[in-house]
Amino acid sequence: MDFFNSTTKRFRIPLLNDSVSAGFPSPADDYTEENIDLNEHLISNPFSTFFLRVKGDSMINAGIKDKDLIIVDKSLIAKPGNIIIAMIDGEFTIKRLSIKNDELYLKAENNNYPDFRFKNHIDVQIWGVVIYSIHRY
Amino acid sequence: MKISSIDAIALIDANNFYASCEQNINPNLRNKPVVILSNNDGCIIARSAEARALKIKMGTPYFKIKEKLNELDVAVLSSNYSLYGDMSRRLMNLLKNYCEEIEIYSIDEAFVSISRPNDKNLYPWARNIRSLIYQNLGITITVGIGENKVRAKIANKLAKNIDYSAGIFDLARIKNENNYLKRISVDKIWGVGRQTSNWLQSKGIKNARELRDMEENEIIKKLGIIGKRLQLELKGYKCLPIEKNKKSKKEIQVSRSFGTPVTKLEDLTQALATHAIKASEKMRSQNLQSSDIRVFARTSKYSSQNYQRSAHRKLTQATDDTNSILKIVVELSKEIYNPEYKFSKAGVLMQDLTNSEHLQQSVINYKSQKELKKSANLMKTIDLLNKRFNNNAITWAITKTPKCWTMNKNFLSRSSTTDIDQIPTIVK
Repeated sequence: MDFFNSTTKRFRIPLLNDSVSAGFPSPADDYTEENIDLNEHLISNPFSTFFLRVKGDSMINAGIKDKDLIIVDKSLIAKPGNIIIAMIDGEFTIKRLSIKNDELYLKAENNNYPDFRFKNHIDVQIWGVVIYSIHRY
Repeated sequence: MKISSIDAIALIDANNFYASCEQNINPNLRNKPVVILSNNDGCIIARSAEARALKIKMGTPYFKIKEKLNELDVAVLSSNYSLYGDMSRRLMNLLKNYCEEIEIYSIDEAFVSISRPNDKNLYPWARNIRSLIYQNLGITITVGIGENKVRAKIANKLAKNIDYSAGIFDLARIKNENNYLKRISVDKIWGVGRQTSNWLQSKGIKNARELRDMEENEIIKKLGIIGKRLQLELKGYKCLPIEKNKKSKKEIQVSRSFGTPVTKLEDLTQALATHAIKASEKMRSQNLQSSDIRVFARTSKYSSQNYQRSAHRKLTQATDDTNSILKIVVELSKEIYNPEYKFSKAGVLMQDLTNSEHLQQSVINYKSQKELKKSANLMKTIDLLNKRFNNNAITWAITKTPKCWTMNKNFLSRSSTTDIDQIPTIVK
């Protein structure tokens, strides 16, 4: 339940915990206790942010690969150019929201996959805007 | 005092909350009838709008309606409280930005106070907050606005019942409110219990308008100050404040029904120990300690056996230490056990709670300061580890043997928003 709260403590990475001599006038004192909190940097609207996992290669040209963790902010209004999560006919899908000849459509970032036209489907909803993808090497 | 028209109270609640949470995170369930079952997959406790439309009733035992649900292609889910709790936390935190004070009333309901703008019109505010919550969480809320809590609750009911309300109703802005108050029967008024409702109906008082206009002395004679307050609120006076920080709980209870009835002492003890570990953890997370520990067990309400027992132990020194609590609970479980009965439910209660921050050290300490500190540190470490590596990374040996008594949760959805290993996958 306290995912964001508990991870705040969990993911703190010390920026520098030892003194660095090169280039610093007072190396012995010059260290910082600041921590980098990934939540703080990656998530600006914690109450509307959700995590999803990608399977497959349909977004490979956008740098989103199989098994990547993606961070979705539902509070954002999707604009053309955004990578979005849509619910189509009972499934989640990830695509780039695009515009051509005044018509909005969903573009897969892989030439092997067709574009998706809204008008052919009844039940489409844009669920959220992808703000980050995290790839594990 | 008659309240000024500046302040308003709104009761905001999420529609079909449990079902909406499931539908939001699982595209397969969207626009489909969904029902949620109670603990142990017993009865229907929540329905999506689509399931309501099929006239599926709340509280129906699952086994009675199983085939019908199957025929109607209704999705059946066990209750997933980690999901609902997380979505509730998100909802309440979002609401905080749009009001002055908030009282979280239940998992899906909150009273909020707002000041009325100069033109007195709160509909734009309510529309804004509704679309915002839908955009952020995929959940629809209903907003009932009034001068006080009782009238905000009534407004919320009206918002749900009136087709053209679009989920918003402001009782303070209605020209002829008598017509609307007439639609609310007395048993539906917040604060009117079954007995009060029966009494009112025997007096010929059937709806909110009649209760508002009822002879005051008659109410006071029967219901005292509480009844008077209720009537005053119906008239538009503000008697019940928003409780921003509800008082800390007087007791902590952890109890569960058994998936299969329990007849062996060791199974009962194991179940109680598991609940005791959870209860101690809950106490520590709220800085509470208990000096009165109670366990109970009972047979099924529906069986011919009717047996229930409880036993408790008072302590000279309040504690939140799982080890000490477990020792007591194991002893108490022997006291309530009876081999002749099939137990269907058992639980532990931590009573006489005190806040550890201003805890007075007892004169007769049965543990030394050093020991106390050591155990406190150990508990802190265990809680941290369990928080970090999911629940039950570290637990007590007594709970680790095979269990025959755990709850049935045959249709549980995933912890889609709280467990990184269970987040939804996008295939295409």
